[in-house]
Amino acid sequence: MRKIILAAAGLTSISLLAGCAQQQEPAPICNMAGINAQRQLVALPAAAPGEPSPLLEMPLNSVSITDFNVINKLYVRSVTAQRTATGTVKVISQIINCTDYPLNVEGRTQFYDQAQAPSEPVSGWKRLNLAPRTSNTYAESSIGTKNVQYYMVEVRETR
Amino acid sequence: MRRLLAAAIAALSLSACQTVQNEAGAPTTYQDPASLGAVKGVGIESQDIVSMTDQMMRDMLTEPRLANAATAPNVIVDSEYFINESASRINRNSITDRLRVSLQRASQGRMNFVARHNANMVAAERELKRKGVTDQGKNALAAAQRGGDYRLGGRITSLDARDPKTGMMSRYTQIIFEMTDLETADIVWSGIYEFSKAAADDIIYR
Repeated sequence: MRKIILAAAGLTSISLLAGCAQQQEPAPICNMAGINAQRQLVALPAAAPGEPSPLLEMPLNSVSITDFNVINKLYVRSVTAQRTATGTVKVISQIINCTDYPLNVEGRTQFYDQAQAPSEPVSGWKRLNLAPRTSNTYAESSIGTKNVQYYMVEVRETR
Repeated sequence: MRRLLAAAIAALSLSACQTVQNEAGAPTTYQDPASLGAVKGVGIESQDIVSMTDQMMRDMLTEPRLANAATAPNVIVDSEYFINESASRINRNSITDRLRVSLQRASQGRMNFVARHNANMVAAERELKRKGVTDQGKNALAAAQRGGDYRLGGRITSLDARDPKTGMMSRYTQIIFEMTDLETADIVWSGIYEFSKAAADDIIYR
């Protein structure tokens, strides 16, 4: 009988433990490994003038967090682009504040043509207020229409 | 062996050079108008003007009635109906001028811009031509100045709050833009730009 009671107690504690394991912290899931993987695509700038630049292109059609202050605080959940009714390109990116503190960040977008040359002036900085552990959406539209093929979003902390 | 070692050392030292010289540049009085400057307060500042006009310009180009019409509409963008009811002292032309210039450069024929702010200048020249004081110029004479299909209007409003204990001040500023059909009064496009700033610095805007 004692053995049965002990076994039941053991099972109860195991199930309680399992219940604890299922409890999740109320936080956004910030997969920083994804950002780290993206960073490896960006090589060092050229060291000497006149030599072929070892600078690899920063990945297009992506969001680059260019500010050390927020690089490990933000998580870019998604970035997509779509054509508007007038043929311009609209970039939409969902950005998550992984910290327990409010963050003010700003983003801007450079649109590129088929040859990956800038097709228009870079957009103005657009502010994004991020409450602790929340997400917000950054969106920007291009000026050009058919000539716009690629884009790159930069994100930094608002000063 | 010695050569190999020398080459290895040279390669190592070269690779060591490949670092960013992460230092501040030469000091200058010039500032980036698109970023927060050295003097900052709670009012509308250059980075707000640059950012809001860029946003409105790009947003207007997504409205088919403005940017994808069968015939390019005649648009008037000036500060005549752009009202400042806020506590911020600002020249409204700095917003509407930048918006008009950037929109015209960006639209590339998708919209036609009418210079109503230069209507008197045009009227005076037309009169001189028709009275024979001057010749007719190279362009053909027009029956009349062009009428507008759409005109920009807007309003700047604000809400101030001050903490008398700390001297901290905050201001919420809201700027709305509306493009109105000049025949039907339909609002065919609207945009809003808002921000709230708090500061203890005593900044005077001129």
